[in-house]
Amino acid sequence: MANSVLMIEGKRSGLVLDPRTKLLLLLTMAVFGLGGAGSDAVNAVLPFILLVPYPLLLLAGKWKWALFGVVAYVGSDLLMHYVGPLLTGLPSFLLLGSCAILNRFLPSILMAAYLMTTTTVSEFTAAMQRMHVTEKITIPLSVMFRFFPTVADEAASINCAMRMRDIRFGGRNMAKTVEYRMVPLMTCCVKIGEELSAAALTRGLGGVVERTNICRIGLKAQDIIVMALCAVPWVLLIIDLINGAFQGGLL
Amino acid sequence: MIEIDHVSFRHSKADGPSLRDVSLTIADGECVLLCGASGSGKTTLTRVINGLIPHYYEGDMSGSVRVNGLDVTGAELYETARMVGSVFQNPRSQFFCVDSTSELAFACENMGINEDEIAERVDEAARDMGIEDLLGRSLFALSGGEKQKIACGSVSALHPDVFVLDEPSSNLDLASIEDLRELLKKWKACGKTLIIAEHRLYWLRDVCDRVICMKDGRVGFDMPMDHFASFSEEEYRAFGLRSINALTLFVPKERNGVQEGSRRMVLRGFRHSYGNVEALDIDRLELPAGEVIAVVGPNGAGKSTFAKCLCGQQRRSKATIEVDGELRKRRQLAKSSYMVMQDVNHQLFCEAVDEEVRLGADVTEEEVAEVLGALDLLPLAKRHPMSLSGGQKQRVAVASALLSGKDLLVFDEPTSGMDFQNMELTASLLSSLCGKASVFVITHDPDLVRRCCTSVLHLEAGHVKTVIGGR
Repeated sequence: MANSVLMIEGKRSGLVLDPRTKLLLLLTMAVFGLGGAGSDAVNAVLPFILLVPYPLLLLAGKWKWALFGVVAYVGSDLLMHYVGPLLTGLPSFLLLGSCAILNRFLPSILMAAYLMTTTTVSEFTAAMQRMHVTEKITIPLSVMFRFFPTVADEAASINCAMRMRDIRFGGRNMAKTVEYRMVPLMTCCVKIGEELSAAALTRGLGGVVERTNICRIGLKAQDIIVMALCAVPWVLLIIDLINGAFQGGLL
Repeated sequence: MIEIDHVSFRHSKADGPSLRDVSLTIADGECVLLCGASGSGKTTLTRVINGLIPHYYEGDMSGSVRVNGLDVTGAELYETARMVGSVFQNPRSQFFCVDSTSELAFACENMGINEDEIAERVDEAARDMGIEDLLGRSLFALSGGEKQKIACGSVSALHPDVFVLDEPSSNLDLASIEDLRELLKKWKACGKTLIIAEHRLYWLRDVCDRVICMKDGRVGFDMPMDHFASFSEEEYRAFGLRSINALTLFVPKERNGVQEGSRRMVLRGFRHSYGNVEALDIDRLELPAGEVIAVVGPNGAGKSTFAKCLCGQQRRSKATIEVDGELRKRRQLAKSSYMVMQDVNHQLFCEAVDEEVRLGADVTEEEVAEVLGALDLLPLAKRHPMSLSGGQKQRVAVASALLSGKDLLVFDEPTSGMDFQNMELTASLLSSLCGKASVFVITHDPDLVRRCCTSVLHLEAGHVKTVIGGR
């Protein structure tokens, strides 16, 4: 499990971003990259934003992901531009479809992975506290951070158990294999969740006093730069909207 | 001081009460060992003291519990948390953060203590517990013993007067238990009150000075440790307890004149490294086949890797086993072996026991009935596997392995967290497999080894240290 996607490393080096910056970046990428909001002006700056996760991943020492991401992103772009026009019918449809998915989804997914692997639970709760988000939202979200690696861990064990029983995907009964996987996974997660809550409650979680946090977060130069970059498409979007409203009104 | 006054409790889903009119007084600085068979009410009693009952686990409760004058039953959990620190059985499910430093600070943060003081307390707890080298690490990368130390440290940073530990040793190896013992002694020396519910008793002999044994939700006996330690073996059995004088050496079962089996198996090429770290390196090893072999050794000795190689679940493994002149490589090993995991819940997939054991196996009704009968599972054939007890689940897993024609079984710590009686049941289950399958038992439990294993394979740092018996 040491090199799992969802695992956080204890010691971190390289560029450290504030969790708020990472959240803003993820949100921006999701809205413009994944959601496709905005017009041509936004699309012109979009590639710059979508490329941000790669240097971040590189600086966090995850060069394999970064390399994979860059190759997939550039590769799918080239394929779409040069091979796409040569094909017709179903092959063209398939190619466009898969390239578009790679192009649109991958940067956001990598960004989310970056956020999850480089943010500790305390950093995250500290950031939420700074943004004055209520504990009713912060606590469940922070539990999620803690829970993903656990679920991955449990799923790996269950996978192993299924292999030993020779139950595979694509066997006779697809629906059954999903069920076989889900039943023990749910049972184990519920049990762990219950024990986890009990342990957290006996350590005073959910008290009336305001929580403190030893984790020191703050906005630094790199945060300002990334945030400024994120602001560009938002500003463009707003200008677009205002223009649209004016034109609509004038017509 | 802890005053428990006529407390009774029945879980909302349970048939009978788990505590019946219990009254106890525990003075400041006392160290109490809470023992008793599974289901005797030890865990319930610890939950009454830390307030999880009635605030988290719901049911009908009567009576009152006071800790240093605080009415735990009435107070909110976070108020109790200042006074009572809790450590639980499962190291995997009692940390809230993902890195060790945040975890040590977690309880203090919840109390709203200011940041500078928390930093001091974290350092102090780390120093006291001897876990400074664990600071700033990912909790997922720590061993069970290390996680348990972090859990103790996290509680300790809040400076509670009372510590409640619910089976803290059940997932630990012998070396980690020693560390935990030292840690408890430090708390004791600071005048803290300790209440430790346990099945494994030997390591608490010089820690606890009072022993309370629960029986059917009542206090069975309550006596000083000196008296308890002078019990005869029969007296421990009568209360379903393990002996406090347990040997910590792994000695195989005596063969009682039974001839050593003539079948042998030869293991070759059991090697594996994680990155640059060599986890296992065994060139050739000859062991008896069709018997029960204990695999022991400290954490990190390569036991799990060994088990994975045995089961053909280790990728790129070149490990082979030769039994009765037949050479099994990875693929054949994967087909012919089965691991009963420590958490059996991972490997029960169906809605009924008989459906479960038939899954993936081409067997007749008679064969199913025969195996279920042999494992005492016939009366449970229509039950949902998840509704069974831990030992019963284990037997279901064994039944499914036998029915799918597996003749190499690996058990991963089958008796962790088991009381005496259940441990004996598992031991007799393992013994009954003799001749039907070759069984490997990864274990930290000397009691189990003495009862059912015919040889002991001792691993250390990836190598075979000794093989006792079976030569």
